[in-house]
Amino acid sequence: MTGGTERLIDGLVEDLEPAAPMIRVRQAFAVVLAVWAAVLGVVLWSQRHPAGATLLFTNGVYLTSFVGLMIAALAATLSALAAARPGRERLERIALGVSAGGLFVASGVCLVGLTGEGAQPSPPGADAMCLQMGAFLSLLPAGVVLSFLVRGWAGHPIRAALIGLVSAGALGGVTIHLSCDLIGPGHLLRGHVAIPLVLAVLGTYPAGLLIRRLRG
Amino acid sequence: MSTDERQSDPPAAARTRPGLDPAVEAREAQLTEWMQAAQRGDADAYRQLLEAIQPMIRRIVRARIRDEAAADDVVQNALLSIHRGRRTYRAERPFGPWMRAITRNTIIDHFRERKRKGDREVELVVEQFADESARSAEAEAALAPELTMALSTLPESQRQAVTLVQIEGLSVAEAALRAGVSAGALKVRAHRGYRALAKLLEGARIGGEWRSERPTAARHSRGGEWR
Repeated sequence: MTGGTERLIDGLVEDLEPAAPMIRVRQAFAVVLAVWAAVLGVVLWSQRHPAGATLLFTNGVYLTSFVGLMIAALAATLSALAAARPGRERLERIALGVSAGGLFVASGVCLVGLTGEGAQPSPPGADAMCLQMGAFLSLLPAGVVLSFLVRGWAGHPIRAALIGLVSAGALGGVTIHLSCDLIGPGHLLRGHVAIPLVLAVLGTYPAGLLIRRLRG
Repeated sequence: MSTDERQSDPPAAARTRPGLDPAVEAREAQLTEWMQAAQRGDADAYRQLLEAIQPMIRRIVRARIRDEAAADDVVQNALLSIHRGRRTYRAERPFGPWMRAITRNTIIDHFRERKRKGDREVELVVEQFADESARSAEAEAALAPELTMALSTLPESQRQAVTLVQIEGLSVAEAALRAGVSAGALKVRAHRGYRALAKLLEGARIGGEWRSERPTAARHSRGGEWR
């Protein structure tokens, strides 16, 4: 052992404080889902008759994009939580791949729907409104996911932030999907499916820096 | 059963891995036990753990990094990462893969950083300082007051980084621990400090000679040499 390493070990031992182990990935996953479910519950309850939820089984594009977005949300959440744990890289990678697949399905079906006949154009401003509302509804799940990332391993904050924001954005996208009565594929793509992508593009760097700063 | 009670159970990971070499299993169980004790704040167990895993980490690092000094830095960064990430370890999972994942990522970070900086930044500036200081005893003698003055003009974070690494002679990992920042952040601060110092000291020279003729101060080095 070199002198420097020896001194470092002395310093680390001196610096030691009790540190309760983080909760399991599956428990953290349940916490994120519980928070998201609470947000979804409030939104649907406030609508009395949630339009999106009743339309779910009446339109193929709508249903498929919902399933894709849901898969993307769940898998990205799992991937983000695994990103904060050393040794869980395999889970992180697999879940990230599944999430990307979900987003691909959700956006692909909308793009295919756009080329089909009878695609409804969305009213002016509706896309931006859903996008903003979805991003807003993502904030709470994003906060919970980021708090797990901050408490976790200081590995790759930017990558962790990216996955975390895709996760929160997709959860927000699902919420807006179930509460919006516009089923045009263009609107679904720009107003719902785009939420995780927009959040990831705009928020990854600042969130990564925030994680890095909070982790010290 | 509470989470804490579950954590103090015998290591499940080591118990339930069929086909594992008994010696490896016993070592794994021991490391897990030490780590659990360390998570509860047991300093003795933590020291035993770090001393036991240090050669394992070094073996992994030396298999990929030939340069001894660089390998030493990576080993220290890995130990620091283990320290910072100790709450992410859970006893129901094996300790070895957790430790190796951190080490592997530290090695990747090392290569990534080298690639990004072209293996230049810190080393070049430090070499530049080493060249300057080695030119003549007179120049070196006159450097100290200028350096002290230049140091005092740096922002606190940069001054601290330069002082810890160059004057106190700590390794990057040790300095990062002392400053309470990551090794990467400390390197960035130190590098900025070196650059600012280089500019300031360049301005302090007249025709290749140092302005000051005041007597020398102690050589700011580790083991008598700049690094």
